[in-house]
Amino acid sequence: MKSMSLYVERESTVHHIDPITKLVYIAAAIALPIILPSLHTAWICMLISFVILGMGRVLTRSLPIIGFVGFILLTVVIIQGFFHVGNETVLFRLGSWPFYEEGLLFAMGITFRALNIVGAFLILVLTTKPSDLVESLVRKGLSPRIGYVLSSVFQIIPQMMATVDTITDAQRSRGMETEGKLMTRIKAFLPLIGPVVLSSLIDTKERTLALQVRGFNVKGSKTFLNEEKMYRYGSAMRWSMLAIVIGAVIWRVIA
Amino acid sequence: MSLIEVEHLKYRYPATEKLALNDISLTAEAGELIGIVGKNTAGKTTFCQALVGLVPHFYKGAYGGSVRIGGMDVKESGVDETIRKVGIVFQNPFTQVTGSKLTVYEEIAFGLEHLGIARQDMMERIDHALHLLDIEAYKDRAPFDLSGGQMQRMAIASVIAMRPQVIVLDEPTSQLDPQGSEEVFRAIQSLSREGITVILAEHKMEKLAAYADRIALLHEGMLIDYDTPSRVFSRSDLAEYGVEAPIYTRVCQAIGFRMLDMDTYPVTLEEAQAAYEAQHSAISASSQEEQGGRYD
Ligand SMILES: Nc1ncnc2c1ncn2[C@@H]1O[C@H](COP(=O)(O)OP(=O)(O)OP(=O)(O)O)[C@@H](O)[C@H]1O
Ligand SMILES: [Mg+2]
Repeated sequence: MKSMSLYVERESTVHHIDPITKLVYIAAAIALPIILPSLHTAWICMLISFVILGMGRVLTRSLPIIGFVGFILLTVVIIQGFFHVGNETVLFRLGSWPFYEEGLLFAMGITFRALNIVGAFLILVLTTKPSDLVESLVRKGLSPRIGYVLSSVFQIIPQMMATVDTITDAQRSRGMETEGKLMTRIKAFLPLIGPVVLSSLIDTKERTLALQVRGFNVKGSKTFLNEEKMYRYGSAMRWSMLAIVIGAVIWRVIA
Repeated sequence: MSLIEVEHLKYRYPATEKLALNDISLTAEAGELIGIVGKNTAGKTTFCQALVGLVPHFYKGAYGGSVRIGGMDVKESGVDETIRKVGIVFQNPFTQVTGSKLTVYEEIAFGLEHLGIARQDMMERIDHALHLLDIEAYKDRAPFDLSGGQMQRMAIASVIAMRPQVIVLDEPTSQLDPQGSEEVFRAIQSLSREGITVILAEHKMEKLAAYADRIALLHEGMLIDYDTPSRVFSRSDLAEYGVEAPIYTRVCQAIGFRMLDMDTYPVTLEEAQAAYEAQHSAISASSQEEQGGRYD
């Protein structure tokens, strides 16, 4: 079955780290460059995120995404290099257009920070099963209903796509053109909406019934089939990240 | 006291005029397998859902009379209490998959997690349910990757793991191919052998005739008859209720083979065979007498 998750099954330390610690890492990776807005914090943080991706053996998997984001950020570099408000020092000229150092540095700051955040999220997404993430959030007090919605999205959307395919096939076999020019596609799409929406609505009613009789609304505390995923150094890691962030704040205030 | 006691149950869906259930009273004992038959819109689904409290709690609407399971009043207790005693399996195996679990094993755990069953107990129950439904081989598969029959057996296992005293199955095979249906019927038989009380709404009369202890015949929300398969299927007015007797019964009715010393017709192949042999030996005995007389 088609899967919506980007999770990559690998044997690595990063995979063993619990999802909550990875979430804390994302928070720290976002906070640090904001607290200490120098260019150095930005690139060091970015480098750390990439190194962790490498340790999780998912760096090659992240390259297309990082590349895509990097490509978009390139436009930021170009625009800022030419037009940044504080531009003074000319680095080089493109024809008669001057490219400035201030704009370049400013854009690099943005780029590093953005790539750092993307990297931090990729660590979570590529090395954690969505279901593990949701389960640890539910354990930490997230409502099981929201947890259910989050984890079912990963399966029910591909399921709905499969329904679309089935109905498309059925309509094509009745002689309807479903491929080709944009207009034909749009025309083929309209009669699809009815059956798909209707069948999803019916599905939803039936699934609501099925969930209810499986105790979905039962009050009282839930138990879990899987044992809680605990990483031996998880709490040490979370405390040290907190310490680093607090340290950064203090540094910022006194320096 | 019977395990299931339904008294003067009446129900009307909201914004409708007609009673979907009209004064139904019946009882069922622990361990029985009860078949529910009736043509489309007879009220089978409504009755099934009344046993778990989805009627009236999910749909609302007008409700009268009572359903008691093991002395517990379903309307007063609500769905969340009732499901500890009564489980229900629906027609469509797809929509019963929660969609939040990655394997069959985890899928079966869903209900147990929500009931707050301890982990060790949970695993024992899941293993037992997997074994009973004969789906151990698929326990690590993705729930949506199963065939219809396997998926429906997973749905039954999910309910069985919750250890209900009664399991209600609403046309569990109507959306399955012949092989899938056969798998599910075998599974239902093993539930019945385990002593679980089974309520089975079904259109395949041959199956009901073979497995059911009693049959409830519904028509336009009313309970027309509640008796053994032989008596219900031997009714001469069955067609008026839009129900076709098992093929064996129809054949025997046409050629006038009754059960030995009874006024009912055979409802299973075995019974038809027995009736045939009885008739046949009676004929050959009498013809031998004739022959014997001639040569005398
Ligand atoms: N959600 C609903 N709202 C209003 N009326 C309903 C609803 N569900 C069923 N009914 C009506 O209640 C009556 C009994 O329907 P029910 O679904 O119980 O029949 P059934 O015997 O299960 O039929 P089938 O063999 O088609 O499954 C029908 O007249 C039907 O139109
Ligand atoms: Mg029905």
